[in-house]
Amino acid sequence: MRGISWQGLAVSLGALGLLTSLQTSDDENPHARAPRGVSLVVTAGSWLRAPSADWFAKQAKSEPSRFTHDATAAGGVGGWVDSRGEYSLSEVEGEWAYWQWVSPERLTAGRRDFVQFCSSCHGLDGDGYGRSAQHLRPTPRSFQQNKFKFTKVIADLPSDEALMNLIKRGLAGTPMLPWDLSDVQLLDIIQYIKSLSPEESGWRDVYSQVGDPVEVGEDPWADIKERAIARGREVYHGAASCHLCHPGYVTNEQLRVLRKDPEGTVYREDLTYPALKDSEYEVLGRATKVMPPDFTWHQLRAGITTADLFQTIASGIKGTAMPQWKGAIPDEDLWALAHYVEDLIVSYKDQPAVRGAFMKGLRASGDN
Amino acid sequence: MSMLKATLPSLAFLRSRWLGCPLALMLTSTWALAQDKRWGPGEAASDYGYRFHDLFWLITILVSVAFALVVILLAIPVLRDRERPGHRASFDHGKSLHDKRLTAVISIVIFIILDAWVLVIAMQDLREAHWALPDAEDPQTYRVEVLAQQWAWNFRAPGVDGEFGTADDIITINELVVPKDRPVSFNMSSKDVIHALFLPEMRMKMDVNPGSINKTWFRPITAGDFTILCAELCGFAHYQMSGKLRVLEQGLFNEWEAEASKLASTAFDADDTEAQWAWDWEK
Repeated sequence: MRGISWQGLAVSLGALGLLTSLQTSDDENPHARAPRGVSLVVTAGSWLRAPSADWFAKQAKSEPSRFTHDATAAGGVGGWVDSRGEYSLSEVEGEWAYWQWVSPERLTAGRRDFVQFCSSCHGLDGDGYGRSAQHLRPTPRSFQQNKFKFTKVIADLPSDEALMNLIKRGLAGTPMLPWDLSDVQLLDIIQYIKSLSPEESGWRDVYSQVGDPVEVGEDPWADIKERAIARGREVYHGAASCHLCHPGYVTNEQLRVLRKDPEGTVYREDLTYPALKDSEYEVLGRATKVMPPDFTWHQLRAGITTADLFQTIASGIKGTAMPQWKGAIPDEDLWALAHYVEDLIVSYKDQPAVRGAFMKGLRASGDN
Repeated sequence: MSMLKATLPSLAFLRSRWLGCPLALMLTSTWALAQDKRWGPGEAASDYGYRFHDLFWLITILVSVAFALVVILLAIPVLRDRERPGHRASFDHGKSLHDKRLTAVISIVIFIILDAWVLVIAMQDLREAHWALPDAEDPQTYRVEVLAQQWAWNFRAPGVDGEFGTADDIITINELVVPKDRPVSFNMSSKDVIHALFLPEMRMKMDVNPGSINKTWFRPITAGDFTILCAELCGFAHYQMSGKLRVLEQGLFNEWEAEASKLASTAFDADDTEAQWAWDWEK
């Protein structure tokens, strides 16, 4: 063992031990991932709006020991009881509604991941204007406005599951990526996002409705796609008047025939182009405009299967000119529209030559 | 010791023609992998792409030959002078003048053949291709401004009016359409960290830095859909920072550009100044 200095070895080992004891792991140090000057600790918990009784009935099927229905709950009002105490039925401003208690620990966990993964675009305060949001159109969602475009829900606000679907899937053609995080992480982030609602709005509003995505159900046209597409074309240019914002995929004359309008009717200029629309999304205090997609050109955000399209059309896109179509036209026609739009995408999108010929044909008629 | 020796197979077979093995194995496996698009670089789709191939194969062959040579030179004394019945192995530092000269000559020869040769060709490629930016004034040059961010590619082309910062600028995210056979010139910058625009089929790769404008170009010679990647680790979702490059034939491209410009003008909101990020083209 010649050549080894025992004193030196002892000093080195001692120093190593001291360093190790000074080091704390990432989990123990809540500031480990925080940008300088940002606190990651949320000190107060939040009461947030929970989905309606239907949602509890659904949950009770998978967790029967947790959720039970009690006709005498809440002073005789009757409703679902959560044995863990996270959800409760209570009265606020005379309204009986389900509320969810989110603890400060959970919000802290959510904020930590939010700051790391989301804040670069959605902002540290969730105002939709993080550093990377600069110049971006469409703008990242502000979580203080409580309007979510592609959650496919009819209610005012999406359920946790609806938000989770969206985050996991991402929004095609935008920097909102499919996020590859664990369910626990995502759910914590979602609770934090919900807690960003200003007082008396969004998830803090007693009058808000929280719901799951539109039920897909059965496609009535499954075996007769051709007829669905033809019917969808009629609805698109007729009853639903989609061509007012989206492009019309017909000539002026064809449109007149489809709508059974009198001879000589002239429709909007540039019928085969979409028309820019106002939206309620504010950036830097100013409402931005939104371009309705041309299905043969633009990439759709929330999926292009018939079921995705059905859900998107049925629920509408909140904060934009796209209304909720569920209830406005029969489900059968909604499905027909979904088939027609899918056909437009499959036939023309990403096929510049085919699309060019098709659009040129429409425009060459000279009447639009 | 004799027990161990008895269990080992004889190494005598390595002595002769088997020494060609490493070289043959390296070249054939490299060649075989290069034939498969998933492994090798595939066919180049840009006009300067062949330079990449030439350099790749030059280096592969030179290094393979050098490797085989080193293995052979090492194997000969190991086999010839090894300890065996009737022969005693000895240790030699190689301190004689002859040994030193031999070492120096071999080093210089290898440096000239490998390093100098590759360096000269690489400098030639840089000068004649990668740094030979096309003339920005030439209407044939298709200019694209690239704004990278975590984690997306923002592209802006000037549209039919040929000017940046106007209503008909074609703005796309993660998707770029360019004309075939025309030089495509890039001005690139980043919002946040360092990214790198990588068009593997075009053999084009260039860092994109915040705070400066980096320039590069390529000329596609094949129409079709290709890959856009980020080649600089830029954070959590670096691996998702990809896009699609579409090369269209001239006629089709002109139609596409006219349509995209028209759609861009339709979507243009003059009051939304924050959305206008074009900069003056840097030559």
